[in-house]
Amino acid sequence: MAERTRIHYQAELVELEAHALGGIDLVVETLGRTLEAVQHRDVELAEMVIADDDRIDGRYLEVHQAILTLLARQAPVATDLRLIAALLHLIKSIERMGDQCVNIAKLIPLAGHEPPLDEAMLRDIVTMAKQVKGLLSQAKQAFATRDVELARDLVRGDDVVDNLNRECFRRAIEIGDTQDQREWAMTMLLVARALERMGDNAVDIGEQTAFVVTGLFEEFEDASHPQPAAR
Amino acid sequence: MTEERREAERGQAAQEPDGDGRRGLRRGIEVQHRDKAPQGSREKVFELKELSVHYGDNPAVRGISMEVFKHNVTALIGPSGCGKSTLIRCLNRMNDLVPSARVEGELLYHGEDLYGSKVDPVQVRKMIGMVFQKPNPFPKSIYDNIAFGPRILNMQGDMDEIVEKALRRGALWEEVKDRLDANAYGLSGGQQQRLCIARCIAVEPDTILMDEPCSALDPISTGKIEDLITELKQDYSIVIVTHNMQQAARVSDMTAFLIVELTADEKNRWGEIVEYDETEKIFTNPSDRRTEDYVSGKVG
Repeated sequence: MAERTRIHYQAELVELEAHALGGIDLVVETLGRTLEAVQHRDVELAEMVIADDDRIDGRYLEVHQAILTLLARQAPVATDLRLIAALLHLIKSIERMGDQCVNIAKLIPLAGHEPPLDEAMLRDIVTMAKQVKGLLSQAKQAFATRDVELARDLVRGDDVVDNLNRECFRRAIEIGDTQDQREWAMTMLLVARALERMGDNAVDIGEQTAFVVTGLFEEFEDASHPQPAAR
Repeated sequence: MTEERREAERGQAAQEPDGDGRRGLRRGIEVQHRDKAPQGSREKVFELKELSVHYGDNPAVRGISMEVFKHNVTALIGPSGCGKSTLIRCLNRMNDLVPSARVEGELLYHGEDLYGSKVDPVQVRKMIGMVFQKPNPFPKSIYDNIAFGPRILNMQGDMDEIVEKALRRGALWEEVKDRLDANAYGLSGGQQQRLCIARCIAVEPDTILMDEPCSALDPISTGKIEDLITELKQDYSIVIVTHNMQQAARVSDMTAFLIVELTADEKNRWGEIVEYDETEKIFTNPSDRRTEDYVSGKVG
């Protein structure tokens, strides 16, 4: 067996990937607090979520800069090059998910202190958020272990999120006649929408996993060509 | 439209993507390997079939099968001792000059057997020029360096025009037009190498072979030669041996990766092709793990 070379470069790559994937942990943590703020209508916690987004934005900038440096200094090729390209997508998805948590947090004061809430709709939103947290952990594991099957399986979990989003929409239509009820339902629809987007971001990370492994970019789900995918 | 259906469609719309355009791409877009010979035609200049070269009893390369396409830059890469130089020297019969060298297998040049008994090696080397690692101008004037080949071949036409045309094609004319009588040894290393390329072009070849043409040059001269290679492939087919992986990635259309194979007792070693494919494929998604490790510099 030939001697291994470029050891420091390899170490840099491993560290960069770990730092980028660590961004998913930041999002999971933030989403947990966002969910708590939604459940308890906790405006102060929501403000903390908004302020804390700087951490995720900071992670984005750190990873982005590290990628530029690595490209300039080490000229990665082959699998390393695909990994770098995928990490650039991944960190952008992480940054977007942080923004979605901020979007949700900003809605909390608008929903009112004691809104005429619909327990069933709130329950759906809590389930969605928990499902998205699970998807994010799965996406991280799939990427870290280069497990394309686990990555593809994200679509199944994302379908659950999509169905709950539709369910929220249905409940909002039937919620009642008062303006307060309608305002609350509209706000919660925006929350559900943000969560649904986060589910898509988790699938995006799965798609990047497949790209790193196979060298082919393939959308697991295609909203513009919605026929069932042959797998 | 029923209320139920309208509702279902609204629900669908609610879960569809926002305006960031992320989900507009079609499924399974292949971002790699499209087809071979992407730049030029698929017309074959060389066809190597199970080509082997021995020096005495020792094999240098074995079982080389590949095709070199017209108007392509084809790079040969691999570790020292893998037979890259031996292989490129087969392509214009330079190995004929090594008494112990023996070439087996088939090597077709435009469909003709390059090693056929009726083939004139001098004519071969006119059609298939070669540029070496170290610039090797003759100890003559710049003008005479270029005119040397055309004079020997009794080429028709105005010699001044032939010299100017070759120097222009070699991207050297502007730098030397006022001192054509000066000795070529007075040129810088990079200029000497471009002079050697111009000298090669002067006899109107069809293919140019380059054996590590930039390894003795600084980055600026290297950049000029690389630009020149990209321009020259419009008119010629080019095969280049290089140790510089990024150079292969920058200038070539096709890349062949060779490795050194050893017998069990390690007494004999020879070169073999591991992978030959479009350069983009070799550097983004190679098929063989050994290629991957070599191009990413992970093995020494």
